[in-house]
Amino acid sequence: MIPVVTTDRLTLRAPEQRDFETYAAFRASDRAKTVGGPFPRSHAFQSFCAIIGHWTMRGYGRWIVADKTTDEPVGLVGIFYPEDWPEPEVAWSMFANGEGKGYACEAAKAAREWAYETLGWNRLVSMVDPTNTRSVALAKRLGCTPGGTFTHETLGELHYWVHPGPEAAR
Amino acid sequence: MTQTLTTDRLILRQPAPADWAAFWAFFQTERSTGVGGPLHIGPAWRHFAAELGHWQIRGHGMWTVTRKGDDAALGMVGPWTPEDWPETEVGWMIFEPTLEGTGIATEAAKAAVAHAYGTLGWDTVVSYVAPGNDRSARLAEKLGAMHDTNAPVPNRYPDTIVYRHPKPEVAA
Repeated sequence: MIPVVTTDRLTLRAPEQRDFETYAAFRASDRAKTVGGPFPRSHAFQSFCAIIGHWTMRGYGRWIVADKTTDEPVGLVGIFYPEDWPEPEVAWSMFANGEGKGYACEAAKAAREWAYETLGWNRLVSMVDPTNTRSVALAKRLGCTPGGTFTHETLGELHYWVHPGPEAAR
Repeated sequence: MTQTLTTDRLILRQPAPADWAAFWAFFQTERSTGVGGPLHIGPAWRHFAAELGHWQIRGHGMWTVTRKGDDAALGMVGPWTPEDWPETEVGWMIFEPTLEGTGIATEAAKAAVAHAYGTLGWDTVVSYVAPGNDRSARLAEKLGAMHDTNAPVPNRYPDTIVYRHPKPEVAA
């Protein structure tokens, strides 16, 4: 079961069928460039299903970030650890309507706190494409410090950003 | 949501994380060519996760095929209905080469097609077979499905061969 986490302005919840169109539009847009896209729309359904299957495989995963009042999906944030990743990371992707409001930061903090408290972890990283300046800025805003690089087979070189530990992040 | 189908020799159950090893072993071999393989580990894992998530989104999905009394994953068979498919499909992938000639794949697929027409109430059932995947085409034919040359094909697989399964009353 995918848990629900709430923040001041946001609900982090399971992806639902009604989120699919927004997600598919994001994956097909230039906004998906830094995560290996844009992807043909026909691939969107399978990757959408995989977000949910990730939870079953790992016991954690990424949530749809929704406006707490309207339930409109604004992004995808959570703990991401596919089999070709070196370790679990706090991952974020904001849809066009979720940009510029501090939502990514608010959601990433909630995801991080959830992982520390619920999973009992004491280390978390985020892997960021160095050309993705907005993401780099967010990593810094979250208090992350640089921690080396990782070369992914198709995504190329990603930079590790190490999050503050459970105590410091609180 | 129907979780399980039972046939003479088999139990078709919802896929579980433990099936990943068999899925991944299959997708490293040339046997997976007809279903999009071989794959690197990252895409294979995402594909497997999608098999699990499909159940949550659709309420149906492909089952893991197991022998009664042995929970090991022999393959996957069942409804597969991504958003871009023009029609409702029952698909299959047989992990285990040793199953050839045992009729296990036929037994599993037959149950899945019957379930799609019966419990799911589908109007039609197709199976998309990649050109050159003769094993799969033979299975479709053994099930009584007919090559439908007029059927629409998924955009991303323009060369796919569409087999249409007869409705149960027609097949009877």
